[in-house]
Amino acid sequence: MSHNKSSPDFLYHHFYDVNQQYETSKLGMWGFILTEVLTFGALFVAYTVYRAWNPDMFINANLLLDVNKGLINTIVLIGSSLTMALAIWAIQLKKKKLSLIMLFVTFICAAIFLGIKYLEYEHKFHLGQLPGEYYSYMGPEIANMNNPHIFFSIYFIMTGLHGLHVAIGMGLIAWLMYLTARDKLHSAYYTPMELVGIFWHLVDIIWIFLFPLFYLIG
Amino acid sequence: MSEHHHIIPLKIYFIVAGILFFLTGVTVWVSYIDLGFLNIVIALLIAGTKATIVALFFMHLLWDDKKNLIAFVLSLMFLAIFMIITMSDTEFRGAINPEIKDPINKRAAFYDSLPLTDDHGNPIHEDGSHESGDKDDHH
Repeated sequence: MSHNKSSPDFLYHHFYDVNQQYETSKLGMWGFILTEVLTFGALFVAYTVYRAWNPDMFINANLLLDVNKGLINTIVLIGSSLTMALAIWAIQLKKKKLSLIMLFVTFICAAIFLGIKYLEYEHKFHLGQLPGEYYSYMGPEIANMNNPHIFFSIYFIMTGLHGLHVAIGMGLIAWLMYLTARDKLHSAYYTPMELVGIFWHLVDIIWIFLFPLFYLIG
Repeated sequence: MSEHHHIIPLKIYFIVAGILFFLTGVTVWVSYIDLGFLNIVIALLIAGTKATIVALFFMHLLWDDKKNLIAFVLSLMFLAIFMIITMSDTEFRGAINPEIKDPINKRAAFYDSLPLTDDHGNPIHEDGSHESGDKDDHH
């Protein structure tokens, strides 16, 4: 409680100054990103182990996925990463309106991503290309592969957890729009936007790996 | 107040996004060319390049205090340890006891309406022997 009257209202009393508060928040976020990398890392290890055990089945089962939908989602997600970075750039330069527009575009891109993901999932549910014991698709393509349900187990868990992150990211971006519109975030204090930005770019990085590993291995 | 925060020129963001879109196109294009095992190597190299670019520029790691970069690189090192130790088990199970290398049942019971095949789609019998005239085993 040692701050004098000139301290900004967004500076918490347990921090020495604004810069220390900013750096501490950011390192905390990177600690969280570390745990995220390990969470998804476990699934990437599972992918590698099962692909090493079933190399031909993975390459054949991959043909049951729609490359175009995956490609559109990649472009949408990279575009949303750009607009997220631009939202931070805009608020640093006191362009509140531009920042709000960029956050809104990011939000819409996330919604498009989940919409396309829904179409993909719906198609697979309809065909019975489902994980584990729920698998029931016996079409002609699977005559030359053993155990394609393993591929779909890993596909659904990895893209599903990633989709959950996109949905949570949408909530966080909506929260940022609310804060920015209420002038709680401004050029002197935009730490929440910076941190959500880091989270959003991590979601993009994970998709950058999921796209070739699931859609492009044929 | 925030003068210590580096503001990155707008141009850099657009160049970075352009490179990311370009590499996405390249990785899709390469996937349609059959290069054998090199396909997965190239796909992962391109994905790694894209992820590095996103981390350095969009996540501002290039301009940040280096402790953040250390946290991120550490996470990748932990992941590498995780991957190497797990694979050193799962890939070498047959080295000690060949009987535990392959699953007892070749595939799940709900595929029973289909003929049993090997990894290349050639039919095999329940006892594991290949059918005569197997085209893949001539050489």
